[in-house]
Amino acid sequence: MVSSVLAPVQERGRAALERLGLPTRRQEAWRLTDLKRLAAVAALPPCSTSVRHALPAPSEGVLRLVLDGSQPSLEGQVWPQGFSLLNHADLEQVLGQILDHCGCAEAWPVEFNHASSHQLLALRIHGKVPPLELVLSGGDGLVATRVILILDEKADLDLLEVVLAEGVSAHSHVIEVHIGQEAELRHGFLATADGQASLLAHLAVEQAPRSRYAFTSVVTGWSLGRIEPRVVQLEGQAETTLKGLAMSSAEQQLATHTAVRFDGPEGEFDQLQKCLASGQSHTIFNGAIDVPRVAQRTNAAQLSRNLLLSGQARVDTKPELEIVADDVRCAHGATVSQLQEDELFYLQSRGIGASDAAALLLRGACQEVIEQLPSPAQAWQPLNRVMESLDR
Amino acid sequence: MIRPDAELLLEITDLHAAVEDKPILKGVNLQVRAGEIHAVMGRNGSGKSTLSKVLAGHPAYRVTGGSVRYRSQDLFELEPEERARLGVFLGFQYPVEIPGVSNLEFLRVATNARREKQGSEELDTFAFEDHVREKLAVVQMDPAFLERSVNEGFSGGEKKRNEILQMALLEPVVSILDETDSGLDIDALRIVAGGVNQLATTDNATLLITHYQRLLDEITPDYVHVMAAGRILRTGGRELALELEQTGYDWVDKELAAQGVA
Amino acid sequence: MTSSSTKDLVSQPYKYGFVTEIETDKIAKGLSEDVVRLISAKKEEPDFLLQFRLRAFRNWLTLEEPDWAELGYPEIDYQNIVYYAAPKQQDKKASLDEVDPKLLETFDKLGIPLSEQKRLSNVAVDAVFDSVSIATTYKEKLAEHGVVFCSFSEAVKEHPELIERYLGSVVSSNDNYFAALNSAVFSDGSFVFIPKGVECPMELSTYFRINSGDTGQFERTLIVAEEGASVSYLEGCTAPMFDTNQLHAAVVELVVLDDASIKYSTVQNWYAGDENGVGGIYNFVTKRGQCRGARSRISWTQVETGSAITWKYPSCLLQGADSVGEFYSVALTNNCQQADTGTKMVHVGPRTRSTIVSKGISAGRSSNSYRGLVQMGRNAKGARNYSQCDSMLIGDQAAANTYPYIRSQQPQAAIEHEASTCRISEDQLFYLQSRGIGFEEAVSMMVSGFCRDVFNQLPMEFAAEADKLLALKLEGSVG
Repeated sequence: MVSSVLAPVQERGRAALERLGLPTRRQEAWRLTDLKRLAAVAALPPCSTSVRHALPAPSEGVLRLVLDGSQPSLEGQVWPQGFSLLNHADLEQVLGQILDHCGCAEAWPVEFNHASSHQLLALRIHGKVPPLELVLSGGDGLVATRVILILDEKADLDLLEVVLAEGVSAHSHVIEVHIGQEAELRHGFLATADGQASLLAHLAVEQAPRSRYAFTSVVTGWSLGRIEPRVVQLEGQAETTLKGLAMSSAEQQLATHTAVRFDGPEGEFDQLQKCLASGQSHTIFNGAIDVPRVAQRTNAAQLSRNLLLSGQARVDTKPELEIVADDVRCAHGATVSQLQEDELFYLQSRGIGASDAAALLLRGACQEVIEQLPSPAQAWQPLNRVMESLDR
Repeated sequence: MIRPDAELLLEITDLHAAVEDKPILKGVNLQVRAGEIHAVMGRNGSGKSTLSKVLAGHPAYRVTGGSVRYRSQDLFELEPEERARLGVFLGFQYPVEIPGVSNLEFLRVATNARREKQGSEELDTFAFEDHVREKLAVVQMDPAFLERSVNEGFSGGEKKRNEILQMALLEPVVSILDETDSGLDIDALRIVAGGVNQLATTDNATLLITHYQRLLDEITPDYVHVMAAGRILRTGGRELALELEQTGYDWVDKELAAQGVA
Repeated sequence: MTSSSTKDLVSQPYKYGFVTEIETDKIAKGLSEDVVRLISAKKEEPDFLLQFRLRAFRNWLTLEEPDWAELGYPEIDYQNIVYYAAPKQQDKKASLDEVDPKLLETFDKLGIPLSEQKRLSNVAVDAVFDSVSIATTYKEKLAEHGVVFCSFSEAVKEHPELIERYLGSVVSSNDNYFAALNSAVFSDGSFVFIPKGVECPMELSTYFRINSGDTGQFERTLIVAEEGASVSYLEGCTAPMFDTNQLHAAVVELVVLDDASIKYSTVQNWYAGDENGVGGIYNFVTKRGQCRGARSRISWTQVETGSAITWKYPSCLLQGADSVGEFYSVALTNNCQQADTGTKMVHVGPRTRSTIVSKGISAGRSSNSYRGLVQMGRNAKGARNYSQCDSMLIGDQAAANTYPYIRSQQPQAAIEHEASTCRISEDQLFYLQSRGIGFEEAVSMMVSGFCRDVFNQLPMEFAAEADKLLALKLEGSVG
């Protein structure tokens, strides 16, 4: 935990916010966002009282850290072998660099985080290490957290980030990850709230050749939820997998904006984004894949599957391909529908009531993504959490 | 059928070839005369498929030495399509799918390109339909496959039949069949082999590239060559294939070791 | 030539690049309310049309030129354009024999013979030269069936009530920057009216020819199919080669009532500029059809091979229950061409259906984007959409982009979108070559195979032509 390096960053963030102003509808990335809610988030005071959430006992062997945006509570933390904190010099060099590589500079949620965060966790991972669980919890007002992870060559980590919030509050989170050659990161992101809190999460991930990155996000219950994973394969030849589940109900708006770029050849990319909208809610997916000329022999597949569960809800999806290299295989697909009638009927014909049948099918739809979460997620019973959130 | 006075169709001399700078063929010598059926056997990686691709002119394979004369013409002077028009045919191990391009149209354009070279008249759409229907019998193929895109969604066996159908249409002088037996069940193998047998005459020649003996139960070769490390290691009659089936390829390693190659 | 890859394609010299020497009646460059009034006066228009133009002009002044398509081109100086040019001849001739032979010759050269002896037997043609209709064939025969097929200017004179009722009813005069501009200054175009229950007895076709170097082209096409009527309409476009750019901002409106259908096909081969991107047409077109009636149907088919820049989204507003919208597109870009094209399928009525098939081929340093919107409104219960967008890249300097916007507010509507990118693989080429098919023919076979789903939608007479056009654009290509 270092906070002294953050002072200039905060200044920069404030200046940028001043310059940028709030996003407007004319900006493609914000065209569908509920900007009133965004303005409300921007106007929140910093968090004054943290809430102590009741946390399930962590799975065995999992290193759990709780970040609430304020206390430097990790002083005296005993680190298992393979974990080390970045020193001041390293930090000054690396801070913000990955964001730049991923084209996140000047992104409003990033500058917002810059301006607000004064807590930073910066870790270096060496070799195969025990699973890491970061609980990002908040209180009233605005909580901002910032994480930097450097995975050395051949490092291997299971990381689960859990975001918890309740009441009229907001969480701003930025995580920068560098994955070294032949290193592997399985990254889970489980963010559930009570329908009042908002979340702005921005992930910048850069991958060295022959590295593997698997990101699984499960997001539900945010008044305004926006997560933005940006991945760059620095020299191609890496594997990237993004699996996402966003499940909105009531009047929530959940947006997932992913962007993947290949700065070298032979990259592999596989993406599945599932959005489920019920009530009067709104899900948004925007998935950009950028394959420049250097990215020959890239193999990318993207699928956006959407379930529209109510006549007042709304689904927007926009998969995007930008390709210059000719020797590539890129495909995307999108579907929007309700639960399949024949599947419902099949269950009903076996004596299962309509609402139970629908619930079963929904669980099934969620399970496909949830089962991809890394091992520490089990302690959180993610499927139940998600289904409960839908019932609320 | 071996006739020493038959026309020398294919003369491969000290052929060297490479893929992406990796040498694969390291001095292949082979002579094929009209009326002959040759089998080229060998383990995976021995260079036998490379030989077939080089003969047909695949752009990924680079000839680094030696020569191939086809009916006393330098084969390497010719574009792939010119080789085909002059009667060199490659039956692919994995025929590619070409979505959108109608199989019938493809067969017609190819047949007419060959016929023009042969001095036969061009077949219009109607005449070709009759012509192709006759040839379908050779491989017992369902005419429905003519209406589909080239090889698209064909099963392994259907693709191989489509290859032999093309052979029947193009009336090649030298046919090189690359692992035509791979992925076929016994019935399909018989049908394909039957097609090849029907098409073999005293004027043409066939080069069967295969891993297994079982194709040779259906098509009797005049010569069997065993390839290893990019060369023909041994040549014999049909009995060599039977011997291979019994003893496997282990002796190959010994022989290569003795020659200081492996 | 053991060609290892499909490299940059160099297109065949443009065949239609000649200029016809003919006297024209041009007004001075520049745009103002006075110019709008002048155009209307020259065309002796009724007041409602002048008012329509003036409203559009005032709207245009308030609008901004769109920039979201990320098309790169130097700023257009709208005051440096001539907004009205017409070949000098007395009033439109009753008989073709009186049309300036130079014009007839021009269309002959373009492969569109108009004279009675040579004209196509089953296609009626409206020939538009620099935005003015010079001749329409088979008018009388069509009139026997009650079908109106004439230039827009004639329609204004002879059927003002139809024009007043339908003009601007699909594309309003403030719809977008270029539509507003067109509405203010449009010069001519085609008008088609198919009355109730009539199946148009022949193909209708408009052939647009730009001749002048500094004239903007602003055609207006309006097609109305009443209850149970049907028509198939085709437009073709060419222009001479100039090293300046010409602006072409057309508007097409289609109205389809109950059980009626319009099939609208375009073969666009405007001059594309040279291999360095000098010259060529800026093609900014608004095309929209409204399926007003139940079970009505609009089908757009386009083959876009020309223009320096294409900005075009033929769309369907599916209002009538069970109405059907279709969009079949082939867009080929080469050298420095830029195309941003696609469609909008807006499902309003229940059980409406739409199909989108888009095939983009990018070669050279060109950029080819599919941009489309599929929207299911709250009442579009049981509606369905299927979209397929495929790109083929030739060479490693061309760009292929896909931007599908999908929105649904109706659970009982289903949307399915697929997109893929491919290239002509070395193995496919080799396979064809190894069967005796020459390299260029092999490329052309594969490109036309790639486009087959779209070509199948073109009227018979034009499918083969489109195939040839594509082959021509790719000829002499590869090394």
